[in-house]
Amino acid sequence: MKSKFLLLLFCCVSYFVNAQTFPISGSIHDDNNIPLPGVSILVKGSTNGTTTDFDGNFTIPNIASGDILIISYLGFVTQEIIVSSPNPLNVQLEADLQALDEVLVIGYGTQKVSKISGSVAVVNAKSIETLQPVRAEDALQGQAAGVNVIANGSPGTKPTVLIRGIPSYTGTDPLVVIDGVQQTLDDLNALNPGDIKSMNVLKDAALSAIYGVSGGNGVILVQTKSGGRNNKTVFSFDASTGIQEVANTIDVLNASEYVSILNEASSNAGEGLIFDDISSYGRGTDWQDQVFVEAPITNFNLTASGGSENTSYFISAGHLAQEGVVGGEDKSYFDRTTLTANFNTNLTDKLVAIINTSYANIKSSSLSENNINSVLSNAINFDPTVSPYDANGNFGTSTNITQEIKNPLALIDNSYNKNNTNKLYGKLELQYDVLDNFKITSRFGYNYVDIYGKDFTPLVFYGVGHNNTTANEDLSPIVTVSPDGEETSTHNRVSESRTNYFRFSYELFGNYDFKIGEDHSFETVAGLTIAKNQGSNVTANAQDIPFNSWNYADVSAATGDLESQTSGSWQYVKRNVSYFGRMNYDFKERYLLSASARVDGSTSFGKNNKFGVFYAGSLGWVISNEAFWNSETINYLKLRSSYGTVGNDNIDPQFATISTFPKYTFDGNIITGSTLQSIPNDDVTWETQTQFDAGLDVKFFESRLSLTAEYWQKTVDDLLFSPTLSLYLGTPDYPAANIGKTKSSGFDFSIGYSDTSSGGFRFSTSVNLTTATNEVEEINNGDKFIWGSGYGIPYTNLTRFEEGYSPGYFYGYKTDGIFQNQAEIDAHATQDGAQPGDIRYQDLNNDGVINADDRGEIGDPFADYNIGWNLAFDYKNFDFMVFTYASVGGDIYRAYERNSNYTNRFASTLDRWTGEGTSTTEPRVTFVDTNNNIRPSDRYVEDGSFVRIKNIQLGYTLPDSFNTATGMSRVRVYAQVKNALTFTDYSGYDPEISSGVLDTGVDRGNYPQPRTWLIGVNVKF
Amino acid sequence: MKIVKHIPFIIAILFISSACSDYVDYEAKENFEIVADAYFYSKEDYESAVVGTYDPLQWMYLNVLIGDIASENSFSGGESATDVIGIQEIDEMRHTPTNDNLTSIWRFLYEGINRANYLEENKDKLEFDGKEALYGEVYFLRAYYYFELVKFFGDVPLFTERRLTATDSGTLERASKADVYAQIELDLLTAISALPNTQSQKGRVTKYAAQALLGKVYLFQDKFAESASMLENVIGNYSLVPNYQDQFLKAGENGPESVFEVQYSNDSEWYDWDFVPQGTEGNFGVIHNGPRAFSGPEYATGWSFNLPTPTLVATFDDGDSRKEASILDIEAFAAETGASYAEGYKHTGYYNKKYIPRAGESGAQTELNYLTNYRAIRYADVLLMAAEANNRNGNDTKALDYLNQVVERAFGNTDHNITASGNTLTQLIWEQRNLELSMEGHHFFDLVRTNQAANVIEGFTAGKHEVFPIPQQEIDISGLTQNPGY
Repeated sequence: MKSKFLLLLFCCVSYFVNAQTFPISGSIHDDNNIPLPGVSILVKGSTNGTTTDFDGNFTIPNIASGDILIISYLGFVTQEIIVSSPNPLNVQLEADLQALDEVLVIGYGTQKVSKISGSVAVVNAKSIETLQPVRAEDALQGQAAGVNVIANGSPGTKPTVLIRGIPSYTGTDPLVVIDGVQQTLDDLNALNPGDIKSMNVLKDAALSAIYGVSGGNGVILVQTKSGGRNNKTVFSFDASTGIQEVANTIDVLNASEYVSILNEASSNAGEGLIFDDISSYGRGTDWQDQVFVEAPITNFNLTASGGSENTSYFISAGHLAQEGVVGGEDKSYFDRTTLTANFNTNLTDKLVAIINTSYANIKSSSLSENNINSVLSNAINFDPTVSPYDANGNFGTSTNITQEIKNPLALIDNSYNKNNTNKLYGKLELQYDVLDNFKITSRFGYNYVDIYGKDFTPLVFYGVGHNNTTANEDLSPIVTVSPDGEETSTHNRVSESRTNYFRFSYELFGNYDFKIGEDHSFETVAGLTIAKNQGSNVTANAQDIPFNSWNYADVSAATGDLESQTSGSWQYVKRNVSYFGRMNYDFKERYLLSASARVDGSTSFGKNNKFGVFYAGSLGWVISNEAFWNSETINYLKLRSSYGTVGNDNIDPQFATISTFPKYTFDGNIITGSTLQSIPNDDVTWETQTQFDAGLDVKFFESRLSLTAEYWQKTVDDLLFSPTLSLYLGTPDYPAANIGKTKSSGFDFSIGYSDTSSGGFRFSTSVNLTTATNEVEEINNGDKFIWGSGYGIPYTNLTRFEEGYSPGYFYGYKTDGIFQNQAEIDAHATQDGAQPGDIRYQDLNNDGVINADDRGEIGDPFADYNIGWNLAFDYKNFDFMVFTYASVGGDIYRAYERNSNYTNRFASTLDRWTGEGTSTTEPRVTFVDTNNNIRPSDRYVEDGSFVRIKNIQLGYTLPDSFNTATGMSRVRVYAQVKNALTFTDYSGYDPEISSGVLDTGVDRGNYPQPRTWLIGVNVKF
Repeated sequence: MKIVKHIPFIIAILFISSACSDYVDYEAKENFEIVADAYFYSKEDYESAVVGTYDPLQWMYLNVLIGDIASENSFSGGESATDVIGIQEIDEMRHTPTNDNLTSIWRFLYEGINRANYLEENKDKLEFDGKEALYGEVYFLRAYYYFELVKFFGDVPLFTERRLTATDSGTLERASKADVYAQIELDLLTAISALPNTQSQKGRVTKYAAQALLGKVYLFQDKFAESASMLENVIGNYSLVPNYQDQFLKAGENGPESVFEVQYSNDSEWYDWDFVPQGTEGNFGVIHNGPRAFSGPEYATGWSFNLPTPTLVATFDDGDSRKEASILDIEAFAAETGASYAEGYKHTGYYNKKYIPRAGESGAQTELNYLTNYRAIRYADVLLMAAEANNRNGNDTKALDYLNQVVERAFGNTDHNITASGNTLTQLIWEQRNLELSMEGHHFFDLVRTNQAANVIEGFTAGKHEVFPIPQQEIDISGLTQNPGY
């Protein structure tokens, strides 16, 4: 009876339910309208559910009105939709940029972001796409806290990338790992930024120690794009084109000013006037206007990605063509063609093969840059009274300037070189799932580079008697006859070279993840690496190219005799062997613990120290996962800290070698001799950095606002150094030794906010701030410092790496105004050669004499802090973003002035001292500078702080109606300005000056970053 | 079963692991480098190392320039007051311990000494015929380098056993000038006993060269008797060329008057501006002496340093062939030939014709490759030294004989022969010394040696400027004491 009743009831209920249910179908796509397969759809409170098919479609039966569908997909914000009718649903999932369960690639594995207790910064494909960098690492500037990128204006040139300060001077390039394969920062020249899915910067030892001796400068993990399984092919096409221009020029004297200043300088030296009639010169030639051009830049990218059940693929082809704003056209350009194919296929149900292959071809040509002989240096310093071309159409020449400095247009015209680089890199990887949670990876990575270079030095004419002139005015060789009748001639010259680099690494490692009980999770990895890195070069030179022409510039065409044909070669090899392991542990995702270690062996190290051990550990506490946590405002809170060691092996193998370079002449013949070239240090070892990091991650208001703050510290106790030894040891190469100590510390801070309000308005902004303080604590090389770089003719030392100071600081005299009269000179410490109108230098050591001992710190090129600020709005089909970057507190040393009697001068010369009380900053002009007013001093140091609007972009996505009509799935057009505006007090071209660490901030006529106007289109179909 | 499946992996791991420690061993021969341990096992190795010891002689262009610029013979010149500032300072006697040019002189000389010492260090590794004579060259060169050091810097660190290594940095102190001279004398005496009178290759050191240098070394110590008798060995084995100026031309190189000559070549195609002067086989000093922005016959353009002063030009008597051979009057030359030039800093209208860039005498990189040899010890110099040593040792007869050989050659007749004696003769020998050897890099050191510098050189402070300062860098690194007054 009872059972019957139940049966009846069941039937009734069933009937009731049946009566009210219906199947529901729909499609799910992302914000780019791309269908998402495999999305999970579940009816809330039931087990009823399905996943989307290949085209993003789904159907679920037995839905009742009022049921709630939970739609979830990895990397997207989970949505809940209340079903009110059987009408098909069209759901757009929002990408979840802040996803807490996002999985990040780390060294030799992946980890959930929420479980990471180390320090990592991520730059994703979207920001790379909007920034449109020529080189991938440019996209890190201001986007990742703790990463300081100093961009380079020259086409295709590597920027300076500093991850958390400058612990060592021997090299600051972080390790670059592309899809698990170790590469270098230089290799990013060949990577198409459009192929990048994400760049993860590993900043602390907890994450980088697994790269051991290579991880000392931080690690940039680059993941390239891949297709998704069960996705139909999506094609995308991106193109942009634009114009680059120079935003500002340097104020120098015009011709009238030049001639009157020169006359004054000459008469101040007691010599006669140089120019008789100074009224006839006018403004003369503005050489900077002459050399700067509006240069085009274009970029195309075509990709296809998708996958079947067992295979996925990503194929891309890209072409970038950029000309330089100096010279342009065939003299300064960077053309890159890239082809990438990434395949991923299941060989068996347990064995996956991943084959990534990239090819790049780079063609480039460059003009002399960033030195006293550069085009810009010549443009700043050359005689403004000279016309670009003379009456016969030849390049104008100066009768006054006969050394080094010349007509920059002639210099551009006479510069011939080209480089053709072919590069093949990628990996072949097998992943074998021994068990569900135990995977073995066998990875072979390779990088082959072939560079062909050609350089032609034609016969040139820069004026009669100019020291760089090698031809008569008609460009015929200068033939001279010696007193005993022997004829000699000048020659043009060509040089061809081939350089090969080959690097491979083989890695074998296993990942094993397991749980003990419900709450104790472990992720472990262990493995080994062997790697080899080698390079070689052969160069051939010959002279007498037919017709003095670039068209015939080839060793094979040269007609010079055998004796004039020379050749050279070099090669190197470096090998590493490493073992590594890591264990991550967490308890209920509340308490995090990670430990890693690596043993590295390197051919670079002394015999007595072949292997080094690097280790790191980190702890984290996700407070918000605690049972007691019930804050509505703060939905996520993590504290973390790490400590560990990483290394640096930027030295050469150590040997006492014999050099056969010394030569002497007997009987008129050059005879090869020999001597000891280098002295080894068998004890030399890697630099070990000890790093400490402490930080917190907080998310507020359902993750709409997020904040990360970190403090870090790095110390190196055994800095590698080639010490400056006693000069009485002569001139051999001295070995590197571990004799220095540095300390760096700083804060990384980032805050982000994003919100979607009603009405289709979306807003997101993020600010990050990076600070770094570096100090050299100890150098036991005798004189406690080494010289870094210098400038000028004669070469003058400027930067130092010195105990007690920031690395690469500027060293020179401190000025104290201008001597107004003889009485002031007499009252001052003895300053040889000083006359009224000369600069008064401070007597820093108070010994009553101004000499070399009175030099001190006059500037520090490194910024106190850098800030990046991103701001993005989306409204309906419009998107708008602005990226602003600021660098505050760095100094720049103005080193582009040639300072010879007849070269042009900086416009501030107009405010020079001409008598008592006329100036307290600018010294008198004179041809006989007995006071050496041009010595390195704070007079040349300027504040290099700047705020720069790096990127402004406005995009419009065409409406769906257009897509329906054309069969496209998404079309977006945009306009963009890069380096739109710069706010700075610096007087030079560009306050961003990128070069080696000890060369930073020295402006030798630095190639400016152009302002670039671009329009572009992104199409998906 | 499962284990069997994983055997390939296990084998791979074991294989790779065992290969590993070898894998990071490295031998220099992988990059075709010769290691020191494998050297000095053949006679050729020794001969090469000796050639390497000669090499730094070619880097001494500054020593020569400074020998006149520091004196009243010539002005610094150059483009401007800041062109090669170290030379400008020396010209005006305001040089300080921070002087890159003096620093490089110091380093180059010590490189020479270390190269010689490297041979000393490896002397016993192999016996072969001719080893003693070969080492005679080494000892001469070491003496030559030390003598330059003593002339420039006074007391200097002294070491002879071996090439210094990194651990020796900062451990040495300055040895007294007397001790350094004693070592120079010892080395030269050893060289004299080992060297042949003549060498088959031009440019190699001979016994006479060693005797001439030792005579000079004695003279610099006022050891007149020793000097006179040592120089006597040389006299009669060379001759004065009839036409004074011929010996400064290419055709006159290694001629009958040449006792020791530093050899240069214009054949090298290799050059690197960052590695000058070590990287060139040419005479880098020559370009410095050239007329600025010159265009015309016979000569080639240069950097207008080392400009003969009107004072020097005025000391030549009429009829002295040495004036025409020593001085180029650029204004007269330009007027005559239509050549053009520019006036540089401290322009005097005169150039050093003995070591001037001559048309067609340079190679691939013109500025670096002048073939012009440096006539370090000429027979005329030997005669004048012998004259002085004899005069100051009381033998005026001999002194006049030697002196007048030089004077007669200069004038082509005996009209200007000298007949003085005693101190007057000494003074006349000194005057003839500068007329004969001006612009060859000797004068400043002669003035210092003979205590005339303070009277002749403007800005010269007695008790200070007799020697140049020890480079500041060396003082900072090695803790050496500084010379007085700096």
